[in-house]
Amino acid sequence: MMSAPTMSEQTARPGASILTAVAVRNLTKTFAAPGAAGRFTVLDAITLSVGEGEFVSIVGPSGCGKSTLLNIIAGIESHESGAVMVGSRAGHAGSQARIGYVFQSPRLLNWLTVQANIEFVLEAQNIPRPRWQELVAKHLALVGLAGQEPNYPLNLSGGMQQRLAIARALAIEPDVLLMDEPFSHLDAITARKMRFDLLDILAKARTTILFVTHDLSEAVFLSDRVYMMSIRPARIFKEVRVDVSRPRRPEDSRILDLEKTLVREFFGALEAK
Amino acid sequence: MKGRADGVKSAALRAASIALLLLLWSVASRLVNDPDVLPGPLEICRIIATDLATVGPEGHSAYFDIGITLARIMIAFVASMLAGIGIGLAMALSAALERVLIAVIPLLLTMPSILMVFLAVMWFGFSEVGGLVAVMAVVTPYVAVNIFQGTKATDKSLIEMGVTFKARTPLLIRKVYLPQLMPYIFSAFRYAFGMTWKVVALAETFGLKYGIGYMFFFWFGQFNMTQVLAWIVIFVVLMLILEHGVFARLERRAFAWRDARRRPSLA
Amino acid sequence: MTLALGLLAWEGISKFFLPVIFPGPLELLDRIFAIYSDPASYRVVGQSLSRIFVGFIISMLAGTAFGILMGLKRDVEIFFDSWIMVLLTVPAVCWAFLSVLWFGISETAPILTIVLIVFPFVVMNIWEGTKALENDLIEMGRVYKADRPLMLRKVLIPQLTPYIFSSLRIALSLSWKIALVAEAFGAGSGVGQELINWFQDTRVDMMLAWGASFMIVMVLIDRLVFRVWERRVFAWRPQFAT
Repeated sequence: MMSAPTMSEQTARPGASILTAVAVRNLTKTFAAPGAAGRFTVLDAITLSVGEGEFVSIVGPSGCGKSTLLNIIAGIESHESGAVMVGSRAGHAGSQARIGYVFQSPRLLNWLTVQANIEFVLEAQNIPRPRWQELVAKHLALVGLAGQEPNYPLNLSGGMQQRLAIARALAIEPDVLLMDEPFSHLDAITARKMRFDLLDILAKARTTILFVTHDLSEAVFLSDRVYMMSIRPARIFKEVRVDVSRPRRPEDSRILDLEKTLVREFFGALEAK
Repeated sequence: MKGRADGVKSAALRAASIALLLLLWSVASRLVNDPDVLPGPLEICRIIATDLATVGPEGHSAYFDIGITLARIMIAFVASMLAGIGIGLAMALSAALERVLIAVIPLLLTMPSILMVFLAVMWFGFSEVGGLVAVMAVVTPYVAVNIFQGTKATDKSLIEMGVTFKARTPLLIRKVYLPQLMPYIFSAFRYAFGMTWKVVALAETFGLKYGIGYMFFFWFGQFNMTQVLAWIVIFVVLMLILEHGVFARLERRAFAWRDARRRPSLA
Repeated sequence: MTLALGLLAWEGISKFFLPVIFPGPLELLDRIFAIYSDPASYRVVGQSLSRIFVGFIISMLAGTAFGILMGLKRDVEIFFDSWIMVLLTVPAVCWAFLSVLWFGISETAPILTIVLIVFPFVVMNIWEGTKALENDLIEMGRVYKADRPLMLRKVLIPQLTPYIFSSLRIALSLSWKIALVAEAFGAGSGVGQELINWFQDTRVDMMLAWGASFMIVMVLIDRLVFRVWERRVFAWRPQFAT
C-alpha cells in the first residue's frame, strides 16, 4: 500500500533526471467578474513542477481552471502574478522552450492532408525543411498512422484524429508535452486503448508530460505524480506520487487502492468547501 | 453496378430532354409559321453561322462583339471579386468600417441593377468606365457581405492551436484562416459571376457600343426576331460553358477534402 | 449617428452638382413629394405592383410544385434540370425583349418576363430544399404507413416551410427588380417606364425619386408582410417563444 506521499527524488522514474522541465510558482490568474465589482480569481497561488521525463497529471473537476493553467504555461494566456518557467532541453538554440499541445478536440486543419498538418507545426517552429520528411514519417509510425500521409483528417476515426494530434505535437520534439483531457471526447473503449498506446509512445519518445484530466483513474494509471486541484478558486490541495513500476496494469491492486484513497480525499476536499 | 447503369440512364435522359426541347421548339415554330414570331432551331443555327462568317451591320465581325462582351465580363468580374474580398476583409479588421458599411451595403443590395446601370451611364457616360462601375456597384457589395460573414464564421480554436505552436501571422493566414474562407469565396464567386454577366448584358443593351447586349438591342430595334434569338442563343451557350464547365470543375478540385464525410452543398 | 453624418456628407457633395445630375437628399425629397402629390403617379405605381404580384404568385405556385416534383422524383430531376439551367442563364433583358416581340406593349409581356426569371429560381430553391429533407422523418412516416397526402401535409411541407419562406422573400425581391427592367422596354406604363423616360431625359433627380420611392415601398412590404408572417409560421421554434 502507499505510504504517505513524498517528493523523494530517489524513487523517480528511471530516465527522469532531477532537472525541472516545468516550474510554476505562486501563479495567480484573475478575470474581470461580469457585473460585480472586483475580480474573480480563477487560479490561486498555484505551485507545481514537472521533472524532465516525468509524467505529471493535474486532476480536478471540470471548470476549475485546468485548461487555463495549461494555456498560461503554453504562453497563450496571461497571468497576474507568479512565475512560470519552462526549461529548454540542452541543444535547442535560444531559450524559447518547445511546447507541444494536444487539445480535447483534435483541432486539425481538415483541408490539409495528414502530412501537411504535421508540416504546418514544423514550419511554425522553424524546423529546417530537409528534416520534415523524416520527422513526419517517424512520428506517424510512432502513433500507428504509418502510410496515412496523403489522407485527409475527415477520413480518419476520432481515435485516429487524436493520434494524429499527438503525432503533430511530438513531431516538433518538444521540451514538454501539454495534454488537455485528450481522451475525454472519445468513447470509453477507444479512450482505454489510447491510454495504453500513449504509454507505449512515451516509452519510446521519452517526453516530459503535463496531463490534465477530470478522470482520477486515468491520472493514476498514467502518471508518476498527480496534483489534485480544487474548484473556485482553483488551488492545488494535494500532491501524490504513484509508486507503481511500469508497465502498469489498470487492474493492479496498488493502482486501484490509490484511486480509492484519492477519490475519498477528493470528495472530502470538495465537501469541506 | 448500380452506379454504372445509373450513369448511362442519366445521360440518356439528359439527351432525351435536350432532344425534346429542340423538337418542341421545331414543332411550335412550324405551327406558328411566322419567322418574326418564332423561328425554328434550324434557322437560328443558319443565322448564327452566317453571323459568325460575315461582317455585321456595324462593320465588324460577330467575334468582335463576342470578344468585347467576354472581356468586359472578365474584367468586371475580377475587379468586383477583388474589391469585394478586400472590403469584406477590411470590415473584419476594422470595427469602424464595419459600422459604416453595414448601413450602406444593404442599400446597395436593394437597388435594382437597372437603376445602377442608368446612374452609371448618366454619371460616367456611355463608356467602358460606366459599364464597369455599374457592374461593380451591383456585385461588389454582395461579395463583401459574403466574405465578411465568412470571417465571422471562422473557427477560433484552430487559430488558438496555431498560436500554441507559435505559428506567426502569415502562416496562420495562409494555412488556417484563408482555407476556412474558401467556401465563402467560392459561393460568392459563382453568384458574382452570374450577376456580372447579367449586368454586363443589361449595360450593353442600354448604354454601350459593341458587344452581345448591343446586338440584342440593335436587332430588337429592327424587330428582327431571328437575329435576336440567334444572339440570345450565342450568349446562353457561352455562359453555360463558362458557368458549368469552368466553375464546376474548379469547385470540385478545391473541395476534395470535404467529400470524405459531408457532401458539399449546392452553392 | 452614422446616418446623420452620411446625410450631411451627401448634401454637401451634392452642392457641387446640379440637382438634375446629382441631387442632394433635400432635392430628392422635394421631387418625391412632387411625384406623390400627383394622383396619376399612384396609377403608375399600382400598375407596376399588379404586374409584380401576378408574376410573383404564378412563379411561386408553379415553382414550388415543380420544385417538389423535381426533388422527389429523380427521373424528373434529371430530365428537366437542363431546361431549368437554360432558363436561369437567359438574362432578364433578353426575356424582356422576347416578350415584347411576342406580345407587344401589354400587361402580358412584363408578367411573362417575371415568370420566366423567377419561376426557375423558385424551382431551384425548393428542389434543393426537397433533396435536403430529413430521411429519418420520411422513413418514420413510412413505418407508420402514412399515405402520400398525409406525408406531404404533415412531414414534407412543414419541413419545406423555411425554404418556401426564404424563396418567397427573395422571389418577391427579384420580381420587382425584373418588373422594372421589363417595363423599361415595353409596358408603356409603370415605374420602369418612368425610369427609362427620365433616363432618356437625363434627369437623375426624377429618376432617383421614382426609383428610391419605389424601393422604399417594396422594402416596407417585405418588412411588414414577411417579418410578421415569419413569427406566426415559425412559432414552434424556440427563438420565437415568448
